[in-house]
Amino acid sequence: MFYADTPGGGLITFEAVTKRYPDGTVAVDGLDLEVPAGKTVVLVGPSGCGKTTSLRMINRLVEPTQGTILLDGTDIKERNPAHLRRGIGYVIQQTGLFPHRTVEDNIATVPVLNGWPRKKARARAGELMTLVGLDPALAERYPHQLSGGQQQRVGVARALAADPPVLLMDEPFSAVDPVVRASLQDLLMSLQAELRKTIVLVTHDIEEAIKVGDLVALFRPHGKIAQLAPPEQLLAAPADDYVAGFVGFDRGIRRLSFVSTAELTLDTGAVLPADATVAQALAAGRPWICVTEAQRPRGWVDVATIAALPGGTALGQVRAEPIGHPFTVGTDSLRAALDAAVLSPAGQAVAVDDDGLVLGVATFDQLRAAIQAADGNHDTRQVQHAQEGPPSL
Amino acid sequence: MMWSWIPSNWSLIWQLTWENTKLGVLPALYGLVISLPLGVLAARWRWVYPPVLTVVNILYAVPSLALFIALIPAFGLTDTTVIIALTVFSLCVILPNVVAGLRAVPAAVTQAATAMGYGPLRRLATVELPLAVPVILAGLRIGVVASISLASVGQLIGVSSLGYLFIDGLQRSFPTEIYVGLFLVIVLALVCDLILVAVKRALTPWAPRPERQPRRQQRRQQLTGAAS
Amino acid sequence: MSFFSWAWDWVTTDANWHGSGSIPQQLVAHLGYSVLPLLIAALIGVPVGVAIGHRGGKGAVVVINVGNAWRAIPTLGLLTLLAVFLGFSPLTWLLPLVVLAIPPILVNAYEGVAAVDPSIKDAAAGMGMTPWQQVTRVEIPNALPLILVGLRTAAIFVVATATIAAYIGLGGLGRFIIDGLASNQYGPVAGGALLVVILAVLVLALFAGLSRLVIPAGLRKQAKTE
Repeated sequence: MFYADTPGGGLITFEAVTKRYPDGTVAVDGLDLEVPAGKTVVLVGPSGCGKTTSLRMINRLVEPTQGTILLDGTDIKERNPAHLRRGIGYVIQQTGLFPHRTVEDNIATVPVLNGWPRKKARARAGELMTLVGLDPALAERYPHQLSGGQQQRVGVARALAADPPVLLMDEPFSAVDPVVRASLQDLLMSLQAELRKTIVLVTHDIEEAIKVGDLVALFRPHGKIAQLAPPEQLLAAPADDYVAGFVGFDRGIRRLSFVSTAELTLDTGAVLPADATVAQALAAGRPWICVTEAQRPRGWVDVATIAALPGGTALGQVRAEPIGHPFTVGTDSLRAALDAAVLSPAGQAVAVDDDGLVLGVATFDQLRAAIQAADGNHDTRQVQHAQEGPPSL
Repeated sequence: MMWSWIPSNWSLIWQLTWENTKLGVLPALYGLVISLPLGVLAARWRWVYPPVLTVVNILYAVPSLALFIALIPAFGLTDTTVIIALTVFSLCVILPNVVAGLRAVPAAVTQAATAMGYGPLRRLATVELPLAVPVILAGLRIGVVASISLASVGQLIGVSSLGYLFIDGLQRSFPTEIYVGLFLVIVLALVCDLILVAVKRALTPWAPRPERQPRRQQRRQQLTGAAS
Repeated sequence: MSFFSWAWDWVTTDANWHGSGSIPQQLVAHLGYSVLPLLIAALIGVPVGVAIGHRGGKGAVVVINVGNAWRAIPTLGLLTLLAVFLGFSPLTWLLPLVVLAIPPILVNAYEGVAAVDPSIKDAAAGMGMTPWQQVTRVEIPNALPLILVGLRTAAIFVVATATIAAYIGLGGLGRFIIDGLASNQYGPVAGGALLVVILAVLVLALFAGLSRLVIPAGLRKQAKTE
């Protein structure tokens, strides 16, 4: 058996849960929350707002003073705590890896607890190491020999070893540097796309919440939820000033990360190959021309600077400004397109397809139209974040 | 328990207590005086410490009676023998604490002091040693308490201390004497210990008093090592 | 003559190696008087120390105070007191040795477990280990270095106190010392002392080897890199 009696998909329900400490402090105040099975819910808020306490009540490391928590409809109080926890993966900020065991024995911990023979558990550990992107050669190393990022990958592998339907993560990526953090977040999202666990993740970083969450629960101080919504709705329509303040300024632009570029109108007239002539460029009637070579973007040419040149000169021989970065239609968000336009000397963004071939350019006007269309119908599409390639903002 | 024995032997009891106090406190102080420069050296030059520590561990394993005996040919059946032996034991406890205390001073603090223009000696005296006081004093406490107790063993080689009450009590099958001896040794040790705790508090006014930390904060720190 | 020449002369005298009360005999006796109390003290001290370290709370305060107090108790006083009441019986030496060997074992076992990183304990509990599993699979292995230090301290202490116990009539290497002092013969006094020192150093070496054997590789290497 993989995990100890946890049937169902991992639906978690908080019903009027309160945690009051003997000295009077209220960490969590009448919390009602439903975590849908197979979704990532991020609990975010300032220090001391009760998010970690709430998380730790799910696997009964903390017991509520009042209220009930249900896992797939069953009150978790009725379950033996140790058995309950074996069906719930647990990842913490400091990793909590056992220093006296090798990496593979760390990962194999829960299967061995469940009675698996050690050889089988180690084999499973090997599979998981590959899954989380760790070199299998590290299996017999000890935790202190690994980098912080590698250690946290081991932590995630360890939590997934018994294939639990639920994964609890308490500020898992806060202790590593931003580059490592981004790669760990990407790892989490690709794992989730494949495994579809119910994930409850606690963080104080609103950007992380917006990036990885299907649903974001923004906590007020003292354990009450200010808003529970998908990330783009949090950005588009914060419930009150507190939420707006926590989410931060320039949320309007950040919200554009959730708007797709698939429907964006593009101007193909401003694109010419390198063997086109100056005369053709002047005839196009655009202030800037995007010069391509083998259909890939090569540079921007300011038409005003070439007006004096002989009409037969090939565009490829004219001095061109760098492209900056293009955006991939469909994969990149409107925010990436806007950023590309801002960076471009022409004030226009170069649109390419998945192979990098130029499809056209997007001017500020066209981008503005797309933004207003997005605002209007709220018909935003979740952008799929690519694991490799240019960052989608 | 024959209570009347106490007042009628007051002067003996006082004299033995005084002897035992000397035999307990002096070695610890000598041990401190030797440990400080040695410890500073060992903390500064890391390669010095491991061999020193090995020697210290071996010396500390030597039973007290054996060390007294080994020193007899050189120093006779006198106070000096016991004091020297107990100084060695105190050193074994205090020296590691001097090194540990100095090493525990955060590197950021010593670097800041250097950057502000403190010379090495001044930095040692006014920054590093004061911050190492709690750990050093912890070692001194152990040294004093152990010396007071071990001094009684010196009675076996005839060096006068409260141990006399144990031996005499056994020879005369007179438990009262032994009770008195036990009581005095333990109380003496306790009093010295408390005095040293007060000294530590006096020398480190900046140290937080553990009673003042809010309990919830303590519990959280215990649990997660971080606030959340 | 120096201590060493006295001791060496006596130790190399063949007569001392034969007959009743010989060196080998007393050596074995001394080992017996040391090992037995140590085992009993360990059987009491390690579980209690580990349990208090695991649970925390009020017990911790008691442990810390015990740790401070035990060094203050003069072993000679306890030995003579029991000798007055019980004469020379096994209990007279066994009881003080066991009672006084427990504190270093208990305190170090407690500190070893208490010092395990809280996040490791949290992870162990959060992963679904029962309290017994947390203690045996995670806390004790990580506390082993300190537990061994406690056992080593107690072992040295027991060897030393067994020596002193010769004063109340116990056999062992202390016999040479006490009898020699009584008859003003420095030879056996020095010889006995030297043998006791050698024994103590052997105990140290034994524990050094033991720790290399028993402490999990991950912890040893971790200590080196620190």
